[in-house]
Amino acid sequence: MKARVRRWLEEGTVDVFIGYRQVDGHPLPYCFTRENLDALDGLINSPARYALEKIATHLASRQPDLKIGILSLDTNRRALNVLGIWNQINPENITTVDADDAASGVATPDDMRTFEPVVPGPYKQQVGIDNAMSPADAEAFDQSERFSRWMYEFEKCIKCYGCRNICPVCFCRECSLEHRDLIGTGPLPPDVPIFHLVRAVHMAGRCIDCGLCEEACPADISLRLLYRKVNQILDNVFEYQTGSDPGQPPFSLLGNQVTLEPKPLDADK
Amino acid sequence: MECELVPSVCSYCGTGCGVLFEVIDKELAGTLPMKTHPVNEGKLCIKGWNLHEHINSPLRLKQPLVRSFGRFLKTGWDEAIAIAARRFREIIDQYGPESVGVLVSAKITNEENYLAMKLARAVLGTNSVDHCARL
Amino acid sequence: MTNSIAEIEDAGCIFIIGSNTTACHPLIARRVYRAKEKGAKLIVADPRRIQLSRFADVAVQHRLGSDVALLNGMMHLIIANGWQAADYIQERTEDYAELEKTVREYTPEKVAAITGVSVDDIQHMAEIYATNSPAALLYAMGITQHTTGVDNVKSCCNLAMLCGNVGVAGGGVNPLRGQNNVQGACDMGGLPNVYSGYQLVNDIKSNEKFAKAWGRPLPDKPGLPVTAMIPAMLEGKLKALYVIGENPKLSDPDRNHLNHALEKLDFLLVQDIFLSETAQAADVVLAACSMAEKEGTFTNTERRCMRIRKAIDPLADTLPDWQILCRLSSALGYEMNYADPEAIFNEMAALTPSYAGMTYARLGLDGLQWPCPNADHPGTPYLHRHQFARGKGKFHAIGFLEPAELPDDEFPYFLTTGRMFAHFHTGTMTRISPNLNVEQTTGYVEIHPDDALAEEIRDGDMLTIASRRGEMEAPARITPTVRPGTLFLPMHFGENPTNILTSAEALDPIAKIPEFKVSAVKIRKFSEQMGKIPEETGAADPVEADAAAGSR
Ligand code: SF4
Ligand code: SF4
Ligand code: SF4
Repeated sequence: MKARVRRWLEEGTVDVFIGYRQVDGHPLPYCFTRENLDALDGLINSPARYALEKIATHLASRQPDLKIGILSLDTNRRALNVLGIWNQINPENITTVDADDAASGVATPDDMRTFEPVVPGPYKQQVGIDNAMSPADAEAFDQSERFSRWMYEFEKCIKCYGCRNICPVCFCRECSLEHRDLIGTGPLPPDVPIFHLVRAVHMAGRCIDCGLCEEACPADISLRLLYRKVNQILDNVFEYQTGSDPGQPPFSLLGNQVTLEPKPLDADK
Repeated sequence: MECELVPSVCSYCGTGCGVLFEVIDKELAGTLPMKTHPVNEGKLCIKGWNLHEHINSPLRLKQPLVRSFGRFLKTGWDEAIAIAARRFREIIDQYGPESVGVLVSAKITNEENYLAMKLARAVLGTNSVDHCARL
Repeated sequence: MTNSIAEIEDAGCIFIIGSNTTACHPLIARRVYRAKEKGAKLIVADPRRIQLSRFADVAVQHRLGSDVALLNGMMHLIIANGWQAADYIQERTEDYAELEKTVREYTPEKVAAITGVSVDDIQHMAEIYATNSPAALLYAMGITQHTTGVDNVKSCCNLAMLCGNVGVAGGGVNPLRGQNNVQGACDMGGLPNVYSGYQLVNDIKSNEKFAKAWGRPLPDKPGLPVTAMIPAMLEGKLKALYVIGENPKLSDPDRNHLNHALEKLDFLLVQDIFLSETAQAADVVLAACSMAEKEGTFTNTERRCMRIRKAIDPLADTLPDWQILCRLSSALGYEMNYADPEAIFNEMAALTPSYAGMTYARLGLDGLQWPCPNADHPGTPYLHRHQFARGKGKFHAIGFLEPAELPDDEFPYFLTTGRMFAHFHTGTMTRISPNLNVEQTTGYVEIHPDDALAEEIRDGDMLTIASRRGEMEAPARITPTVRPGTLFLPMHFGENPTNILTSAEALDPIAKIPEFKVSAVKIRKFSEQMGKIPEETGAADPVEADAAAGSR
């Protein structure tokens, strides 16, 4: 596989290949280019995920015709579908290599630091929303309990905007989270629950459930579950599975681009 | 097109979170948390996420300045260093080394703090070295 | 910190006093959240109701400056109930008897009267802290910036030792350092009385060791701390000052006093990456490059020395601070030639026992926690494991003293100062960062709704706040996070300089730390703003070099 990437770079199939390499025992994203072909010997797969496709959009925004190869997991590919639909990248310029493919020959070294996702403690299970919960379980609480559990989570927020900054499909130039009339500024936590609900609404038709936001959240808020819920509604109502298909039209709940007919509400009851 | 992710450490608070600077064509394009860093494990606060912004600020000083009749004039390093050295020398010759103080910084590196304290003690000859951290 | 940041997650109890952790050390606060969710108990004592108070098992708002009384009250109850770690006290500490005698006087009723915290809450705090080991104590400037700062710190240590929490994983006494490399600046000898590694300048052996290494005789009397430099400038004894990367004009207490002192200098040399308020008063400004443009190391609050790496070239005609120092030294007749920061690091490590085992190669991306005395040493996650650095842990019997200034008829309000989440220190870095600045563009003063009602103040009204030293304006922010009778001012905003109000004379007698956290002030309405927070005042305007006509 390394040989294949090398050939692509040499032949100009891709101008840059975004993967990982090991630095002092840590996996770090790295951009391989024609100028440093030998560095490809160090190409590895990483147990800690970065939004490589987000780096790709940064490169493409500076040089739109750049041909980019990306070491991809399923989530990276779904994100790329969404980014293509929203014209953030030109899918024709993107080539992916399956990182999960055992035959790819890109190994994960064992002597490498990895990222451990949060293990929700007993107190969180008692008063908050367990990160591992399914939307159905979270739904099972009665309304007031559900509300107080989510409020517990939101009140931990330190307004780092990490959930937005790390998100591969957050690319708006003007972010509603910074809209002064919508969300106040000043004290912590930010306006609860508005801050989180505004983001949740905006993730409808965007979120591809990669979980990077939750991994970046210093407060371990169950963000993935929140956005999953929003997208489940989309699936139930519009049969829209975000990022599943590069040919999808963009979904917009608020804008004028809704091209899908909603299906009858009772369809799957 | 070149792109590099350079590991570093956030320079705001004393927590010392591991960051990656996203450098595209020799420009700082952004800051990311280092996922496997022992301190922050892939998370940052609002200051860390925006670490590149103050570095890219148009307000950065671009060259040394000297004051002349109340106004700052841009100058080169040779002149700035020569003036500073001459003034320190004159003051030490006239009033002794205790008339000089050095405030080092919680913002510069260990190496630089070490050199600053060496300069104060071995070169200027004063132990009046402190920093503003308690402030 | 005696312990490590990661260990906080595994504490049985976390006691936070004088630290608004989610705003000032957010990535340490996250460990507190995790610990709490794993089942730890959380105690928060802060004059303001902070974000973490919402999650605490007990959260109290003790009166400003009453920390020693509160801590003594907890110890009184711990001893009265026999919750202290008797074996630990016996084996590892000394002077316990004196502590016991002193805290005996601090009955819950007396402490409640001083602190304004209920007897029940004090009882609760004592029981939770003493019965959920290991207990980690975290504090920040809310403890140190007082005339009794050292007393406050010693009282924290007393409490921790009383319950056997020093020298155990997940416990400890953990000061959270405000600036990224304060720990490093101190470790490197950025203090008037020590060389790197806290080797005393007036100890003959250390003095000789450094004099030999540096090839120059060295002064052997401790120099002036920053708080004594200001009076020395005023008296004309200190004639020249070299300020590197600091903005004392905003951070030093009693700004009027300091401005006056800087004017008296014959020569002010400032080295910075911005033309800060202090740089604007300089005779020569040396333009340093940023941390992304050089190599080096920082040491964080858990003593972890970590490398920073050069990401981009220095901007325009700027230089790394180390190169500027080398050039200045050489111009002063002492050649300094280093190939790179690594060479400086190696020289420093050879002279500094706690860093002796560190090399750039060993630091890698994780860094190493000192003490790391030799090349095989793995670093030290927590201190005092088997024994205290000085042998036995010493208890200090400490009585409560009132802050230097208390409200009176003329100045009826308590004023305390601090930080908010999006800004940092004097704001030189954050206020010019668009994404941070939008979160808070102006200064403000927090006032309790009861006081606002009594003074007929609406949210956003411009207030004049006056102390014995000066006055300033800020828009009111009405919030129940402060106690009635107390005002809070953030320190980041140059156009609302809080340190016009604070005192440069009220210093801790030992650490010489100014009492930023307590002053007495009065307020009056400056103008009505129809309940709206005014927009940016533009006071942080760019000062282009040529345009900056100086007024010193
Ligand atoms: S899971 Fe989070 S980071 Fe991933 S796409 Fe959804 S919102 Fe973005
Ligand atoms: S990542 Fe978490 S803490 Fe940060 S803004 Fe998002 S929800 Fe809040
Ligand atoms: S990212 Fe935030 S918590 Fe971490 S070091 Fe920077 S300022 Fe401190």
